[in-house]
Amino acid sequence: MNTRFLVYTATAAAFLGLAGCASAPGESIYVPAGGSKAEAPEPPKASSKEDKPRVWRKSEQPDVSEPAEPAPRSSSPSYRDAGDSLSPAAISLIRESDNLLAQGDAPAAIARLERAQRIAPRSAEVYFKLSEAYVASNQLGTAEQFTLKGLSLAGSDARLQRSGWLLLADIRRARGNVAGADQAEARASAL
Amino acid sequence: MKKSTPSSKRNRKTPRKSPRNGRRPWFWRFVFRAGAIGLVLLAGWTVYLDAVVTSRFEGRRFEVPSRVYARPLELYDGASISASALERELELSGFRKGDGSRAGTYQRSGGRFVISTRGFRFPDGKESRRRLALTVYRDRVEKFSVLSGDASPIVRLEPAQIGGIYPSHKEDRILVQLEEVPALLPTTLMAVEDRNFFDHAGIAPLSIARAMLANIRAGEIVQGGSTLTQQLVKNFFLTRDQTLVRKGNEALMSLLLELHYEKGDILETYLNEVYLGQAGTRSINGFGLASQFYFGESLRDLQEHQIALLVGMVKGPSYYNPRRHPERATKRRNLVLSEMEEAGLIDSVRAAKARGKPLGVSARPSYSENRYPAYIDLVRRHLARDYREEDLRSEGLRIFTTLNPAIQNAAEYAVTDTLSRLASGETRKALEAAMVVTAKDSGEVLALVGGRDPQYAGFNRALDANRPIGSLIKPFIYLAALEQPERYTLITPVLDKSFTLEFDDGRRWQPKNYDKTERGEVPLHEALSHSYNLPAVRVGLDIGVDVVKDTLQAFGVTSSISEYPSMLLGSVTMNPVTVAQMYQGLATSGFNTPLRTIREVTDAGGEALSRYSLEVDQVADPAAVHLVQYAMQETMQEGTGKSAYYTVPEELTLAGKTGTTDDGRDSWFAGFSGDLLAVSWVGRDDNGPTSLTGASGALPVWSRFMAQVPQHSFSPVVPDGVQYQWVNAERQALTKEHCNGARLVPLISGSEPTQTVSCSGNLQRQIEGWFEGLFR
Repeated sequence: MNTRFLVYTATAAAFLGLAGCASAPGESIYVPAGGSKAEAPEPPKASSKEDKPRVWRKSEQPDVSEPAEPAPRSSSPSYRDAGDSLSPAAISLIRESDNLLAQGDAPAAIARLERAQRIAPRSAEVYFKLSEAYVASNQLGTAEQFTLKGLSLAGSDARLQRSGWLLLADIRRARGNVAGADQAEARASAL
Repeated sequence: MKKSTPSSKRNRKTPRKSPRNGRRPWFWRFVFRAGAIGLVLLAGWTVYLDAVVTSRFEGRRFEVPSRVYARPLELYDGASISASALERELELSGFRKGDGSRAGTYQRSGGRFVISTRGFRFPDGKESRRRLALTVYRDRVEKFSVLSGDASPIVRLEPAQIGGIYPSHKEDRILVQLEEVPALLPTTLMAVEDRNFFDHAGIAPLSIARAMLANIRAGEIVQGGSTLTQQLVKNFFLTRDQTLVRKGNEALMSLLLELHYEKGDILETYLNEVYLGQAGTRSINGFGLASQFYFGESLRDLQEHQIALLVGMVKGPSYYNPRRHPERATKRRNLVLSEMEEAGLIDSVRAAKARGKPLGVSARPSYSENRYPAYIDLVRRHLARDYREEDLRSEGLRIFTTLNPAIQNAAEYAVTDTLSRLASGETRKALEAAMVVTAKDSGEVLALVGGRDPQYAGFNRALDANRPIGSLIKPFIYLAALEQPERYTLITPVLDKSFTLEFDDGRRWQPKNYDKTERGEVPLHEALSHSYNLPAVRVGLDIGVDVVKDTLQAFGVTSSISEYPSMLLGSVTMNPVTVAQMYQGLATSGFNTPLRTIREVTDAGGEALSRYSLEVDQVADPAAVHLVQYAMQETMQEGTGKSAYYTVPEELTLAGKTGTTDDGRDSWFAGFSGDLLAVSWVGRDDNGPTSLTGASGALPVWSRFMAQVPQHSFSPVVPDGVQYQWVNAERQALTKEHCNGARLVPLISGSEPTQTVSCSGNLQRQIEGWFEGLFR
């Protein structure tokens, strides 16, 4: 092995080790506007006069038929093993909805949960809660769909998967879909 | 009446000329009869006026426009917003820069904000007044705390009013009830305009005499003698011309009004009727709206000097306009304050203090004309499903929409700024664009741009430009294929080779690639990410045009779709909003969510009339959708969408698809991040050719937008039954991470290649991989 190769390998390894894998689960997927730029993020503006575009290359002009190759990107398509966990703000709204549901006010509970969904749209729990609220207001079809949506975000979290499948089994049984209920139960117990 | 008067005069003269006594009884009889007829006519007229007066008072007195609100800004730790966007949002909601302790003011130093909210009655409950502190760092809210008021980890700001649906006469008002009006307002009003309001019977002859005297003395009109009742009658029923007949009617109607109705009733109606200014084509009527319009405050929160100004303005709203003529208005206000002092309504200390205050008028009226005509257009179309136009114009409904002003601004800017850089010459001038932005997981429409001039309320391209969608159809072709994992996977080789279709009627169809080249066999994921036409048509024909059509319909397309094979290259026409609806299911794990612009509608009193709830409906196999999402991410990283990263920060993972139709008549881009789904279209209204492709027209608009908004990357959760594997597509085999041609690809369980290839050669990469492993 020549030294150049060793240096290259070590640099590449160090870089990758520091940067981590693009698709590593649990890593923040939040990106402020303007991204890695050191300066303060540019706000959206109504007038073009005050806003000098930071990056606007010629290659985006249509008269250049073939844009110059962008810098090679190390990332590959991204994926995750689980959805987001709930923020304290979302948790507080879910708590409010629990209280409302306990008082029998399902519509108000749903309104709170929709607020929670807007601030935590990638959390399975929100959808399971919505499902429960719809069960309480006897809208089982809607409830089933929200359970499925929650399950689509449960990923590899066995606890969430389990509660989702059990919820789905209950709903399906209540809807008279015995086979579907059994299937969901089997999924839950297989976890 | 008119007829009887001259004849009676003529007859009155006759007896004087004639000495004969015999005519006198006839004459008196005639006078009596004429008088009687006059009385009957007067009585009839009075009955008529009475009907006019009562009918207006018994029925609904005012047509109140509907108010349209933006979505309220939710503040909490982790909320995603830039400091400048927060400041703009506060301004839009009528907050003023100030000490941050008076309700409706905020203080900013760098990223730190102190905000005093006014509180707001939302359909699902009241948000109380609070004083908040927070810091914005890297486009996120941090250290959020409630300094005073009910503690809560999340607080909603008062939503900005973004428009209204007005009665045809363009009067705008917020109805107030006498009980909720600060007591100082009616007493001041009476002190200035009608001191004996509670004692007179509608007209006050003494006041008129006094006013006339004062006016003669001054040589100009300094004082009006009209009672509040007369002023109300004049505004309500009569024209402004100063004729005796009108004066007579006014007096008569005032008496009738007083006869039928309580003083309080009349006063309340006056408070809601009085004209107090003009905003463009809308007139500002009533103290309720005037208070919002001039101070950004609700009427019950006004201070003495503000009440004095509004009452002073009754005399001449445009002459004393505090925004245009502040000195004049201040003089008038101080005069009113003195009258208040004289009438004993406030003591002299307070009066003096109030006279020393500035006018306290907000810089810009928070109730502006519709600023987002394209968005409001969509709101109206959604409303039209459940409400009559007439009710929207008159019932004072409150409409809570999903518009996000910061996102809307970013979208408008992306469209106007980018269009001016695209194409050249005549084509540039003719270029138009449209854009739709929705919240990916809730289907809420956050922004809508209907053309290059967002203020123009005409042709709304986001809704009415139905154009062929080109390659935007391809993800649905491949989705339909990938839903059959036994036949298609992301690495299935598909043929990029021309062919000719011959129809029964002898016509021939020979599709071509955009670049006119053919590549032979390519893996399916690459065919999609590079948007090759020939493989798409081949796959589409293989699984069946009808299956593709079913897939489109499942994803919410309701317009007719032809089963002619050219549909596989996107000859189907759609508008941008429909495209957004269709892509919505791709952006999630195959869940359709109806696009919504309205969360709730309440009546004027805040009672909920309708709620438009979040709905989800699974329409596709999540595993197959995940595979398509993979190829759409690849599009952004290696395929036709990669130029987005000239503008967008590299950390922001995106997925999308370009679309182009013949001769660049339509340039489309549809794509999403973790939070937002956006569709942009660029083309010409006359459907003429442009030099643009999806990548060079619509994509720059799209990425310009995406680059401005802080958001989450697209990183979908791997669904059940999908595993990521290292594969060698060329060999159709599993391989190892650092082998030549290795690619990490999601595969539906059971569709994995059965073969494995051993690593060919590349020792160097393998050693690198071993090093990487050490650092994991």
